[in-house]
Amino acid sequence: MRKIVISALLFGCAVLAGAVSHAAQDALADDLTPISRQDWNAVRAAHLLERAGFGGTPEDIARFTAMGPAAAVKALVDFSGAAQADANRHLLPFDESGIHDPGLEPFPAGRPAATDQAKATGEALGIKVKPTGNRRMQPVVDKFFYWLRASRLETDRLAYWWANRMLTTAAPLQEKMALFWHGHFANNEEKVRDYRKMKRQLELFQAKGTGNFRDLLIGAAQDPAMLAFLDAGVNVKGAPNENFAREIMELFTMGVASNGVANYSETDIREAARAFTGWNYQDLSFKENADKHDGAVKKFLGQSGNFDGVQVIDLILAQPATAEFIAAKIYRYLVREDVSDAMRKQLGAELRNNRYELAPLLKKILLSRDFYSAPSMATHIKSPVELAVSTYKKLGLKEVPGVPDFNDATGALGQRLFHPPTVAGWAQGKSWITPGLLLERGNFARDLLFPNINFLPPDRYNQDETIRIVSSKIDQGQDVSTATKPEGKGMGGGGEAMQSMSTAMADRDEDFNTRYGSFRGWQLATQKVKPIPRRPAQLDLAGLVRSQKLLNATQVVDYLLARFIPLAVEGADRARLVDFLKNELGTDDVQQAQSYLEEPLRLLLHLIMSLPEYQLG
Amino acid sequence: MTNNNDFGHGLSRRALLGAGLAGLGVNGIRLAGIPLALGHAAQAMAADAASKDRILVVVELSGGNDGLNTLVPYGDDAYYKHRPTLGIRPNKLLKIDDHFGWNAGMTGFEKLYKDGKLAVIHGCGYDQPSFSHFTSMAYMHTASPNGGDPYGWVGRLGDGLQPTSTPNLIVNIDVAQSLAVQSRVHVPVVFDDPERFKRKGSFQELRQLDAVTQVANDANASRAFLREAAKSAVDASALVREAWARYRTPVDYGILPLGLSKVAALMDAGLPTRLYYTGFRNNAFDTHVQQPDLHGRLLTYVSDAIMAFMRDLERIGKADQVAVLVFSEFGRRVPENANQGTDHGTANSMFIIGKQVKGGHYGKPVNLTQLDAGDNLMHTTDFRRAYATLTKGWMGYGDTAKVLKGEFEPFAVFG
Repeated sequence: MRKIVISALLFGCAVLAGAVSHAAQDALADDLTPISRQDWNAVRAAHLLERAGFGGTPEDIARFTAMGPAAAVKALVDFSGAAQADANRHLLPFDESGIHDPGLEPFPAGRPAATDQAKATGEALGIKVKPTGNRRMQPVVDKFFYWLRASRLETDRLAYWWANRMLTTAAPLQEKMALFWHGHFANNEEKVRDYRKMKRQLELFQAKGTGNFRDLLIGAAQDPAMLAFLDAGVNVKGAPNENFAREIMELFTMGVASNGVANYSETDIREAARAFTGWNYQDLSFKENADKHDGAVKKFLGQSGNFDGVQVIDLILAQPATAEFIAAKIYRYLVREDVSDAMRKQLGAELRNNRYELAPLLKKILLSRDFYSAPSMATHIKSPVELAVSTYKKLGLKEVPGVPDFNDATGALGQRLFHPPTVAGWAQGKSWITPGLLLERGNFARDLLFPNINFLPPDRYNQDETIRIVSSKIDQGQDVSTATKPEGKGMGGGGEAMQSMSTAMADRDEDFNTRYGSFRGWQLATQKVKPIPRRPAQLDLAGLVRSQKLLNATQVVDYLLARFIPLAVEGADRARLVDFLKNELGTDDVQQAQSYLEEPLRLLLHLIMSLPEYQLG
Repeated sequence: MTNNNDFGHGLSRRALLGAGLAGLGVNGIRLAGIPLALGHAAQAMAADAASKDRILVVVELSGGNDGLNTLVPYGDDAYYKHRPTLGIRPNKLLKIDDHFGWNAGMTGFEKLYKDGKLAVIHGCGYDQPSFSHFTSMAYMHTASPNGGDPYGWVGRLGDGLQPTSTPNLIVNIDVAQSLAVQSRVHVPVVFDDPERFKRKGSFQELRQLDAVTQVANDANASRAFLREAAKSAVDASALVREAWARYRTPVDYGILPLGLSKVAALMDAGLPTRLYYTGFRNNAFDTHVQQPDLHGRLLTYVSDAIMAFMRDLERIGKADQVAVLVFSEFGRRVPENANQGTDHGTANSMFIIGKQVKGGHYGKPVNLTQLDAGDNLMHTTDFRRAYATLTKGWMGYGDTAKVLKGEFEPFAVFG
């Protein structure tokens, strides 16, 4: 059975290599009619799994090949059925550390707001100001920083939880589209400062990401994370803030212009902002403040009426530009960067004619001959999260390794979950790659295959040198003022040289010390937030080679290339890999090298994962 | 004096550098089989001949530099009213006229200003200012205040200067690529420690890892692009490491060179880079508490490093070709806070420095007696005018709308 899979894969690669060289005149390109069962093969099934999910093992690919295109696409898109639910019984809910308490709500806008409140009322964040003594507000400040740090660490755990879902779910398109919407309605925990809101938002994307776009849009627009991120609270009657309205139109629905023609005016933005006045959140719920809502008449996109926010959203959805913008963006995410005008219009019509139901559009795209045409196949540059998860998937891992750290690794490559760089999300495609980042992608594979024995877990070992210095000085009995005297970060010179400047300072009399609060915040957060398990990848490449009954270096190289690279690697590249393996094995006979196979195989796989082609899916 | 490195190795530096430069940008490269040199030539003719060798270096001060305590308006009583303890007394300042004086540690800036090589662009900001480091910096990076864009203004300038992918056009010295240099067309070279700009791998893997097969007329454009990036990584990482290894300078960059000695090293090695991006990282300027000593030190480092860079440029014969922009994501609140520090604010000065700069004051100084409801300065200059001064006035790229998403009038900093 496995043998058949391999040969199917190898055969498929040859087919694909042929197809790729004829990319320009591929008749399938831009053709949205469904691909036929006759044209279905292992390479196309692998392509579907790669794009509609995070790739698959040869076994997954064989299963999808056997299903045929219509059933395969249906299984991916219609994942909410009982069978899938059953197949996903192993998915556990997020394991909360339990870091939140009611005193934290509403969380102040900043440290000054927290201490101002404490000064005025004698209490903030559920902590009372000390009646007497030095630094009477210190516990308030500690609590403030505790929450910032704890929420951040919990967000990293949430990202691990999500990455594990991506890896092990039986409904990969659900997570793939959740990732798409996370980049579309791009909110950053650093500003939202509440992992619970980020989690709620993710659950929205998972629940509605392939449902109806109107539901999703209204859900996202009324989502506490979004409202916090876009400062909806300051958008009130008489003083509308345009930020929220602008992003809804520019980034979430229409885009600035279609074919060089503006989709809306600055006046439309101002008027829409008025319609959204009074939208706010309270803890984890959407809240409409009627007294802050501007109920007067607005003129918006050529219509006038005393619109509220949802009515404005409906007017936006009535624009053909909106359906085209969303459909084309989904196409670019799932298929390829270049969208022709005709394709954009067709896909937009598909979405609008289905009253913004996303599933029919997804089926249309994933079944189309265009999706399987040469310009679409193996031309997608994987995002860092796609790269990491598909790497784990293809290795057959059942959990996301703790070493290397998932968030640090993907973050170093430019995509940290829950931390998109701006509200515009991540730039896709070529933007993922710099020469340095390409090296870094290879280094990620190296850290996976040869876990660093000096690895320090970033959720335990504090990354901030200043905090580490404060911590050790406090432990050594220094007073708070001396221990927290700024040395400046990354300023060279080292701690010792700076320390001499500050030792003369006596313990300062003050209401609180922010730097000490920052240190205490980390300390308290680390005590409460559960650690991320740090098991390295459980790999057995030698066992894999044995089970496949691969006899010589060429067979091993071909098997691994077919398993990990979506297009043919031939000629000098392949020959170099074969030579390398022979050299490392000290023989061409895999049987003879049986007892020491693992390390040479890992080196070989590192080389394969360092190929430029490995970035493609 | 400064000996940047003393590591040696067996490779021939001259050979490597020569080979690298020949292959990268100087003679043109091939992408998907099209000789790019022709495209470059056409582009070069279109651009102002005088500006085609010009180089822009952007220095970002992250964290929100307190502009009021950088170039202090000591002639304004309101400054001392708002800052009873943080206000720097006139006798401690390096005065440049009867109104302004530099923070005491900034002897470098004082000299640059007196030599007429430093332009102050006053009151740079934008409407509806954001007080979030993250958001405001993104606005600065993308030149899209209250908006978003997947590309940065420096990246877009690169796209305008060279419409086809050009190796080593943009260099970003940092651990991760800045949004500011994100380009639609180009692959910026991003590195921090030149010695770590390389692949991890066991000894026996290294030759394999550096081998990149180039295929002519690859129909898969993504693969062609990746191979180009891989080749550029091999070549750029070697070039950068070589340039750094070879670079020796008698100039003292001070305690924190801000990546500028690396920039000088690459210029000295003859890289074709037109756009450099570096900075003071990690929110260093976020001086909420116990600001005075810390801020003074930070400014001293900045001033020392930039002054040294100017001297170094003179030494390597590049001074006429380089202009430096210094900026931060926002200024700080006008009144001091209760912790001997300042909170996030709004408008701020930007500085443009270079031998070709016509030094002095540009833009209207901020008014400390008319603050907004949050005790913040109202900006007097759209910050994109400072950018336009560099894109159009210095780099000679006229399509301001393309780079800055609107028309912004440059200041006459470059005559």
